[in-house]
Amino acid sequence: MPPRNAAAVREPATGHELKPRPAKSGLNEWMEVDFKFGGSRIKRKTVWLVLLGAPALVPLFFMLPALITLNSNTFAGSVDDTLGTGAEICLFLCLLVTPLSMLTGQRWFVPLRRWYGITMAFTAFGDAIAAGITDNFAGGVFGRLAGHVFELMGFLMVMLVIPILITSNQWSQRKLGKYWKRLQRLTYAIWGLLFLHLSLLEGFGFQSGTNGSGFEGDGDPIFHQRLYQYSACSVFLLALRLPPVKRWIVARQKEGRNWLVWVTVLPIFALFVLGFAFIINEEIFKGVDSFTENPSAE
Amino acid sequence: MSTPSPRTPVLNRDGAGQDDTRAGKLIVMLVSSVSAVLVIAALIYATGTHARSAASAAALGCEPGLTSEAHDCITQPMLASEYMAIMTPASQQQNVDVAAYTSSEGSHLATAEAALSAEVMSAHSFDASLAGIQFPAAMTPLAQAVIQANQARAGLLAEQARSTSLTQLRSFDHRVQVASATVQKEMSLLLTAIDKPVQEG
Repeated sequence: MPPRNAAAVREPATGHELKPRPAKSGLNEWMEVDFKFGGSRIKRKTVWLVLLGAPALVPLFFMLPALITLNSNTFAGSVDDTLGTGAEICLFLCLLVTPLSMLTGQRWFVPLRRWYGITMAFTAFGDAIAAGITDNFAGGVFGRLAGHVFELMGFLMVMLVIPILITSNQWSQRKLGKYWKRLQRLTYAIWGLLFLHLSLLEGFGFQSGTNGSGFEGDGDPIFHQRLYQYSACSVFLLALRLPPVKRWIVARQKEGRNWLVWVTVLPIFALFVLGFAFIINEEIFKGVDSFTENPSAE
Repeated sequence: MSTPSPRTPVLNRDGAGQDDTRAGKLIVMLVSSVSAVLVIAALIYATGTHARSAASAAALGCEPGLTSEAHDCITQPMLASEYMAIMTPASQQQNVDVAAYTSSEGSHLATAEAALSAEVMSAHSFDASLAGIQFPAAMTPLAQAVIQANQARAGLLAEQARSTSLTQLRSFDHRVQVASATVQKEMSLLLTAIDKPVQEG
């Protein structure tokens, strides 16, 4: 469950770090209030963090029946999509925390950044292990993990996740000092490699059906193109990380014109939601197939 | 001392008085405009989903005989792809299990029995996956025949796995070979039906 401390697989700070506004809003204060649960007192924030963090485990949960029954058919048929897409979802959620915190001024959900990062790492490991064992590519385990360029990208992502995961605790943060943030910036490299991975998988966005997302009779090949989904989500996540944009947002917030920020950012966020909704759609579709051990060829 | 206006521009580091947020404003406005256009385009595109689906189904030659409740359209390549998606890993797994059994049937009873148990599990898993494929009515009996033959073989393997001696274990070999040949025959019939051009009606 999401930890209380926001150490991190946190997403890195840029050179022009702009401190988010101090938590003064009513919601932040409301989240800090305790309530009685059984014999102990729990913060409202904790309950919300658990509720928002739990769905990140769903991709792993989808694969549980196939793991218990050691069903190689299911692993070979749909694990890549279930766990691969799951890891992508966790990565985007991890990257979403900072922009949302900046826009809303809310800090209470920041611990989720670390949690989503950790679940992303474990989901990616699961994907790599299953692909290494059950994929049909030649060349043994290494051939199945890195025998094609798109797989090599995935393999590199998994390799990069390892140091981030190992150092995603406060002890490492203290020991590494200023280098810790630099190390955590590897998350951006993973984000970039994911673009290459999906580009190669999806024929640089020009393919659908057998050579790309969606099945051949699909009426929505564009929505099911994973590279487009990635791009739609990344526009929001990237734009709000650009130092000039951050300066503009903070300046408007200081002026008390947060509404202007919201109105301006709304279309970018709508694009994010559109892309993310279809990634979730893909995850549910493939995940249910995996859970029922009836992998789809689509 | 007057309080600065809330709309005082943010100064850049050298204090030159230029609006340091101008670039940010430009970027965010540009990205926002493009995003708005894309979202509107997506909404317009979404309204044509049904028509596009029908058109591409027709273009791909979706046959009424291959249409099921679970899918709006199943084309022959899709069916073949779905079948091969379960067939390929199942075959690979079976090869591994059979090799493990063959290498141990003469000397290690426990190892041979473990290999047989693994084979039984793989067979059940394959049957479940095959049952999950939405075959058209004409192919359903063929798929059921494969499942029945495979279940019979799995039953025999399970019985073999309960052997108490290597001699008893090996005594099943011929019957298992016959059962495997039956499964292969049924699978060939199904695969031929999948590969064959769809018959109207």
